[in-house]
Amino acid sequence: MKKKLTLGQKHNLTGWTFLMPAVVLIVAMSFVPMVQALILSFKTGIGTNMTYTGITNYTRMFKDAVFMQSLKNNFFYLIIQVPIMLITALVLASMLNNKDLKFKGFFRTAIFLPCATSLVSYAIIFRSLFAVDGFVNNVLINLGILHTGYNFLGHPLSAKIIIIVALVWRWTGYNMVFYLAGLQNIEYSVYEAAKIDGASPFQSFRKITVPLLKPTILLTAIMSTNGTLQLFDESMNLTNGGPANATITMSHYIYNVSFKYVPNFGYAASMSYMILMLVAVLAFIQMKVGDKRD
Amino acid sequence: MKKKLVSTVLTAALTVSLLAGCGGGTETASNSAGTDETTTKAASAAETSGDEAQADAGAAGEEKLTVWCWDPAFNINAMNKAAEVYQKDHPNFVLEVVETPWEDVQTKLTTAATSGNLDTLPDILLMQDAAFQKNVISYPDAFTDLTGKLDYSQFSAGKVGFSTVDGKNYGVPFDNGAVIASYRTDLLEQAGYKISDFENITWSDFIEKGKVVLEKTGKPMLSCVGGESDIIVMMLQSAGGSFFGADGSAQLVDNAILEEVMSTYAELVKSGVLVEVNDWDSYIGTLNSGTVAGTMAGCWIMASIQAADDQAGNWSITNMPKLDNAATATNYANQGGSSWAITSNCKNVDLAADFMGATFGGSVEFYDAILNTGAIACYLPAGDSDAYGASNDFFGGEAVYAKIIDFAGQIPACNTGVYFYEARDAVATAITNIVSGADVASELQGAQDTVNFAMGQ
Repeated sequence: MKKKLTLGQKHNLTGWTFLMPAVVLIVAMSFVPMVQALILSFKTGIGTNMTYTGITNYTRMFKDAVFMQSLKNNFFYLIIQVPIMLITALVLASMLNNKDLKFKGFFRTAIFLPCATSLVSYAIIFRSLFAVDGFVNNVLINLGILHTGYNFLGHPLSAKIIIIVALVWRWTGYNMVFYLAGLQNIEYSVYEAAKIDGASPFQSFRKITVPLLKPTILLTAIMSTNGTLQLFDESMNLTNGGPANATITMSHYIYNVSFKYVPNFGYAASMSYMILMLVAVLAFIQMKVGDKRD
Repeated sequence: MKKKLVSTVLTAALTVSLLAGCGGGTETASNSAGTDETTTKAASAAETSGDEAQADAGAAGEEKLTVWCWDPAFNINAMNKAAEVYQKDHPNFVLEVVETPWEDVQTKLTTAATSGNLDTLPDILLMQDAAFQKNVISYPDAFTDLTGKLDYSQFSAGKVGFSTVDGKNYGVPFDNGAVIASYRTDLLEQAGYKISDFENITWSDFIEKGKVVLEKTGKPMLSCVGGESDIIVMMLQSAGGSFFGADGSAQLVDNAILEEVMSTYAELVKSGVLVEVNDWDSYIGTLNSGTVAGTMAGCWIMASIQAADDQAGNWSITNMPKLDNAATATNYANQGGSSWAITSNCKNVDLAADFMGATFGGSVEFYDAILNTGAIACYLPAGDSDAYGASNDFFGGEAVYAKIIDFAGQIPACNTGVYFYEARDAVATAITNIVSGADVASELQGAQDTVNFAMGQ
């Protein structure tokens, strides 16, 4: 004879029943592979012939010149691109939040639209834009700024800058949408009060918008850090990692180790876990710095 | 209580249908990929005459093979022609070609082999020669040993070597990658040269003449993809050099041939005779838009050169320059080229082997039919065919195929090595730095360290 459930238990049961499908799918599709990858990262070998070798994969990557180069590249993108993008997004969002602005919908759509393009196709378009005989060089030559086309993607620094420009173009609108949503929660009367007190637009941006948007800024900072450390499509399609590995990212190198070179999946898996650890550590630091609630 | 039960059951049903949906999705995807013009056409042929049925070939009366390869103008065309030839004697034969770029073939093969789902593989796939050994060694379970199933003595020995692992044959040789130097005769004329001035020359001659052409016409002699080492590998192999020693160890330092290749390449770029572009499409663009006076690549490049109709008659072919100092230097090398592999997923190996043997490994008629796309045979008897003596109007009315067969016979044998792609990339990194001023010896040492590191698993 089954005992009758209390009301609370019934509610719990309903909740769990609704959760189960998603939980089962996430566990099967995401957590199980993650655990398998962790096990894989302690193995070494060519292709399918793998043996356990402990943590050698993790010590190995610090001696790997290409991996170290890719790590530096990732941090270069992170340190330069993320602040530029977030500040631009914040400025654009507060400008578009202006009640008196005409064609607001048009501007919002125009800035958000790049996010709707596929990563691969936009990378290829940037590649052809900045080719030696591409659009940008043609414009610069016709304006008399350059005599012959400059090989933007053929020089280490300019290639990195092109990737950063591409990333800013692609992701600024995405972050701006988060800020716009956050700005809806700030009462307009706060700005009016500041105006009456004689605050300049810049002052009210710095003293009202930024502090009140802090949780959203924290969210976008963590998401952008995560995205930048996992950067792949731009390195693969825009510059192919070149010139001389100057723009290769960690994910691109992991791809090469798994698919282009003699496959070493154990090593590739351990490098993936390295990215995970970096993301976790950086997110933790950002939370500590950004979230002062306790 | 009853309501609860119903909702639980419904939720469970939803979960199951979701999961089933995932599985079903992939199935339909593979099915829809399979509907191909070749299939339907040949399938109707199979219906009309139903003899020679093979019980183990799935549906009764059907002898079906699936193939992955990538170039519609080249290897897909060749496969479809092969199917037509084979269907004359085997009316039930159905061939399904799925267009799959090489990078995707490699990725799918890796995924299938490492996950153990070999049944996602086709019966036959085309593989770059340079990647053949790597894949067979990494995934021995994914390929079928073809030793004794084909007459390998009819192929050139150097080519068969690419797909031979531990003395076993795993591949059916397909296209020849003999390097040709193609030049625009109209541009050479403007600079006061004839095509014969570029025959049997050395690289230093080439650079001198190239400078004149650049000065008089404003066009560089060659273009290539920067950050790739295609031309370097060609130069190296033209002198029988390799990135690896006979024992398989990396030999990028104290490699006199490689050092000469690196300085010659740097000199080519610095003199402006060779211009580097960023990707393959731009490279082909420089040929078709006439921004360069020539190119050097495997003879399969002819298909791309001939895409520019307005340049018909203005191209001519000769051999590549040779290194000045290396004692073993020749004017001949190999670039690219690919071989067919039969996967272990093939349920009807006898049919696949017979099909390959009757076409790629035994039909002069077949090779004649695909000759106009630049698919020059590695199958030796095909070279004696009359078709190879025919002239090509695009290339100034010359008998280009006979010429290429002649080049192919003089290519020195070379050792590609399992870690070829690692070495290629390391050398490409080194040459990029050398071109921008770094020291040859120290860059090669760096490349050697990178390759040794990769080999150290």
